[in-house]
Amino acid sequence: MILHLPDEQESGTNSNAGVLDSYISRIVTGDKEALALLYRATSASVYGFALSILKNTQDAEDVLHDSYIAVYSSACTYRSAGKPMAWVLTITRNLCLQKLRERKKMADVLPENWETGLESRREISEDDKLVISECMNRLSDMERQIIALHAIAGFKHREIADLLHIPLSTVLSKYNRAIKKLKKYLGKESKSDDKSGN
Amino acid sequence: MTNQEIDNKIRQAFSNAAPDVLDAVLTECASQEGKVIVMTEKRKVSSLKKWAVGIAAAFVLCIGGTAGFRVYQANYTVASTVSLDVNPSVEITVNEKERVLAVDAKNEDGKNIIGDMDFKGSDLDVALNALVGSMLKNGYLSDIANSILVSVDNNDPEKSAELQARLAEEINKMLQTDSFSGAVLSQTISSDSELQKLADKYGITLGKAQLIQQIISKDTRHTFEELVSLTINELNLLSKSGSITLDNVNSVGTASDKAYIGEKKAKAAALSHAGLSESDITRYTCKLDSEDGIIVYEIEFCSGGYEYEYDIHAVSGVVLKYEKEPDEDYVAPDKPAEGDVQTPDAGTTPDTETPPDAGTTPDTGTTPDAGTTPDAGTPPDAGTTPDTSTTPGTNQVPGSNQTPNGGHHHRSEWHHQAQTCVGETTARNAVCAHAGIAFENMTGYKCEQDIEDGACIYEIEFECDGYEYEYEVDGATGTILKYEKEYDD
Repeated sequence: MILHLPDEQESGTNSNAGVLDSYISRIVTGDKEALALLYRATSASVYGFALSILKNTQDAEDVLHDSYIAVYSSACTYRSAGKPMAWVLTITRNLCLQKLRERKKMADVLPENWETGLESRREISEDDKLVISECMNRLSDMERQIIALHAIAGFKHREIADLLHIPLSTVLSKYNRAIKKLKKYLGKESKSDDKSGN
Repeated sequence: MTNQEIDNKIRQAFSNAAPDVLDAVLTECASQEGKVIVMTEKRKVSSLKKWAVGIAAAFVLCIGGTAGFRVYQANYTVASTVSLDVNPSVEITVNEKERVLAVDAKNEDGKNIIGDMDFKGSDLDVALNALVGSMLKNGYLSDIANSILVSVDNNDPEKSAELQARLAEEINKMLQTDSFSGAVLSQTISSDSELQKLADKYGITLGKAQLIQQIISKDTRHTFEELVSLTINELNLLSKSGSITLDNVNSVGTASDKAYIGEKKAKAAALSHAGLSESDITRYTCKLDSEDGIIVYEIEFCSGGYEYEYDIHAVSGVVLKYEKEPDEDYVAPDKPAEGDVQTPDAGTTPDTETPPDAGTTPDTGTTPDAGTTPDAGTPPDAGTTPDTSTTPGTNQVPGSNQTPNGGHHHRSEWHHQAQTCVGETTARNAVCAHAGIAFENMTGYKCEQDIEDGACIYEIEFECDGYEYEYEVDGATGTILKYEKEYDD
């Protein structure tokens, strides 16, 4: 199947909400081009959020896949409230939590393999791997999810609080703490890069 | 590295790392379309069983409905309303669990402090902390304006009182900063449809409306409209300065008056305007007050047989208004009351007192710019009170600044300071020229300086040859704006 799709990711929640709403409306009628458009616009957010919860590239990929299947099959239940991205990521979060429950049952599966999973992928630059590595290593689970939702999905803090069911003040404090850590470590890396470049 | 740069790096890294599973998704979606869902045949259920199931279902629904209603009530019904007023006015509604249902801004400043914060579902304490923090950050609460009003409305008076005390204490702690300490007013409120209408009309909370109503009930000189524009700090200062005891309002801390020039400078401005020195005056009083929504130092004193009353702009020190009128309690030093030795401003001898002695009156009732008005006024009816009327046309001494108009004190009514005014003398000369009457021939002369739509106006009234004249003179140019001449019957 060949589809002509714009190569862009959604960077904010509000700016593209109307467009995403229209994709979901078309998906209800079985329009796969609309599903593809929704995928292109949101897959980075879905994958980033899933990886931030699961810390396992294979599981995150599975959830990425299953999320869009779920979107396709349950689009008719979507009630537009101007928050299509929140709906998609709620599906993603539920699938991730389901995965975590499955993991507990299958204790023999290596739970966190993000490092090895990324190592094998040569198409990802070292810089990008470093950024993901810092997010995975330096941040707590909740901090990582908040950063993923804010930086990748473009969610506002109150939208993050709604999605994760935590108080706004917690989101604010954890976001600030996380960004401080990332500034410290990513700042160090960029400085050392500058020095080696010189 | 800025937050935005970090966000960009993260977005880019995860976008590049996201695998492309679109084809797999589309293929699976296509395969789902051909799936057939097998419908199994329903077993027949006996009618007795149906009844039993029905009754059980109804029972469960009943229990569930009641429980659901209770859950709904606990989560979504407004249990308390907490309002915060500084100048920003915001109203927080919370449920039984003190979780925020909504935060509404009552004015533009309220919108500023809320910004894009969404408190729905958060704890009241968290919302309170964030809102007060935002007021501090945005400078609405500072060392020059440190007062906040917290008002609590709950159907249960005990709960109201408990919440009021707790929130006031929390806010007070938040306002104990390195640079200043806050002043917290707190009260419980109850629904009042009339007051609510007023609050809605003026874009304030019911709490602030209740506070204003209390102040005007204790000090009837003020109106609701006048006080509504004042901040809580100004209302706090006003009530303290006027010694107004506010029932049901708990007050912690002292309202800041650092934004104002202070009593000393205000007094100096008034004395300078009156051409008097500290030693010339007696019965001096000073208090902060509001005039047309402007905070002023209201200064009163007596000197040389006159009572002076000044409104000094509390921030700029400009004389906004002044009034000077004969002091009815004044007894000239050389004419003490019978059987009593009186000082010029001590005691009262209404029947025997002498009008202000010309020699002791440096600026006998003229406006500050009436520089040509003779100073040496002769008492028109010495031995009587200044109020004792003489009929128009009696042998007055126009320009003497005493009471040429029977029934009128020669009184500088409320005068407004205006930089561009030509002065009373110029205005009076314009009127004399227009009417063709010499000033000496006028009786009942009265001049008031006023501000209309920001422009200085002189209102001049006098009588001559049985006619009453009324003039309005443009204070900026000295031109006649309006005049009336009526036969004085």
